[in-house]
Amino acid sequence: MVDPGSLSQIIQFPLPLAVLLCGGLALPIIGLLAERAGVGRLREAWMFIVTAAALGSVYLLYQQLKAAPGRVLVVTLWGQRPPLGGCFEIDALGIYMGGSIAFLGFLVALYSFKYMERESRLTEFYTLVLLMMAGMTGIALAGDFFTLFIFWELMGLSSYVLVAFLKNRWGPVEAGFKYLVMSATAGAFLLLSMSFLYGMTGTLNFAQLAASLHGSVRTPWLFVLFSALVVGFGVKSAIVPLHTWLPDAHPEAPSPISALLSGIVIETGLYGLTRVLYLLFDPNFFQLSIAALAVLTMTLANITALLQQDIKRLLAYSSIAQIGYMLIGVSTGTAYGVMGVFLHVFNHSLMKGMAFLSAGSIVHETGTRDLKRLRGVGRMMPYTTFTLFIALLGLGGVPATNGFISKFILFNSAIGAGMAWLAVAGVLNSALSMAYYLRVMKALISTPEDEGLKVHEAPALMVAVTVLMAALVVVFGLYPAPVISLATRASRALVDGMSRYIGAVLP
Amino acid sequence: MDPFTPFIVSVALLFIIGLGCLMVKRDMVRLLIGIEILFNAANLNFVALSLQTKGFIDPFAHSIVMMAIVLDGTVIAVGLAMALNVYKHYKTLDIRKLRRLKW
Repeated sequence: MVDPGSLSQIIQFPLPLAVLLCGGLALPIIGLLAERAGVGRLREAWMFIVTAAALGSVYLLYQQLKAAPGRVLVVTLWGQRPPLGGCFEIDALGIYMGGSIAFLGFLVALYSFKYMERESRLTEFYTLVLLMMAGMTGIALAGDFFTLFIFWELMGLSSYVLVAFLKNRWGPVEAGFKYLVMSATAGAFLLLSMSFLYGMTGTLNFAQLAASLHGSVRTPWLFVLFSALVVGFGVKSAIVPLHTWLPDAHPEAPSPISALLSGIVIETGLYGLTRVLYLLFDPNFFQLSIAALAVLTMTLANITALLQQDIKRLLAYSSIAQIGYMLIGVSTGTAYGVMGVFLHVFNHSLMKGMAFLSAGSIVHETGTRDLKRLRGVGRMMPYTTFTLFIALLGLGGVPATNGFISKFILFNSAIGAGMAWLAVAGVLNSALSMAYYLRVMKALISTPEDEGLKVHEAPALMVAVTVLMAALVVVFGLYPAPVISLATRASRALVDGMSRYIGAVLP
Repeated sequence: MDPFTPFIVSVALLFIIGLGCLMVKRDMVRLLIGIEILFNAANLNFVALSLQTKGFIDPFAHSIVMMAIVLDGTVIAVGLAMALNVYKHYKTLDIRKLRRLKW
């Protein structure tokens, strides 16, 4: 007989994850109550409370982490010490990712209250959004590979259904099926790489894997493992030969979901890749191959984006290009470069989230995504267009936006690591990308061809969210110190603090 | 001969069969079966390697395989639901007809 007190000590979850999971699982009941009792805004209120509580609990966890010995919090699931069983190992990097996820999730939830108002099946929608956020938070906080895989599939499953959410049209269904087949195949590659890791070391715990594989002899199995890992994580994070699902799935999803997918889901894939690569291998093992992938990703995505006529599809290609910039930082192998990666993850979640939300407002009001038919819309929706401009300028890396800061650090770190060619490729791509961002701006403010076009400004809540994000982009562009210090701590925890991490987890 | 060689070889064969199925087949349900074969190859690898490391059969790998079977089952279930929706719109399960979204 187990008394409830000791049970609550055995089953522990990190607070943000518990909030999101319980919130997501309670939402169907709340939705049912809201429909039966006819209370109008109960679901939205619950969604607001849960996402705000997730943001608050990430902050609480951060305070807890500061006090923890060795700056690593270990939360065990069944009361077993780390090498046995699943656990969560929370370090500065996990908290940083969790904070980015909760922040963007909160803003997107606010936006979707108005945007999704006219749709049916809202209970399912909000449940899936919360579960997707829970999956991403779980990935960020996971302490062993299998816990990561479970939350990976949770994130994946909810995002497949969310992409195909508007199932009465053919586009989302087709995009959703492509996404599912490619991502599930990648999941199988991930499971295969896990089984090889297990065969080599007999464990899946991150700290023990790092302790036993770091600096080991290069066997052929290590190369098999590396390629399986790159395929497994690369499909979700849209590295170029594996990106083909993204330009279909991101535009076809409802706009708040596009913002979440582009802003944070693909970055969570990149986070998984970065963490696992730095845990298992020495940086000079993967440096050149990741650098080559970075150049390929940037160049191909930027060139293809030039050809797009669909505003959301153009933004989706731009997301792939941004992943390419982040890979530059991954390939450097220094704490400075990884700091650039995670700074760009946060900045990109703000900028791309805002770009998709503003584009979503435009699509919501006009009902079209075609750039030719959107000519002159900017004059009728001044606030939304203004925020979209700031987002695009930030994505292009114009000074005084936060995109400039993180790109500068990324390119600088490539030079610091002795790969000047990589920095040159990055700068050239950055210049090329301005071409299509400016094309969107030109289309939006030029004279409308159709004189009878009548469009109103988007609803106040949607405008308020995008304006808030625009203000943050500029504020963090002019005063980046707080985010930089957080990102520095996060990257040091991953790159420099490996032995401390191992020591804190394995006593 | 290393006692694990037959297992590793059959895992590799299953993986190649699964990938081949994904590349060659046109029917959506068969694509999902291909994904299932890939997952099962990885599961088989786990079970085979659970003998290797500690000198006894490690229950850790078996618990992982149990969970992984559940996870890929749910993925396939969502995939079948999506194939049904595709059929409603396209009146076919041929994957080559899913080309209306231009690249």
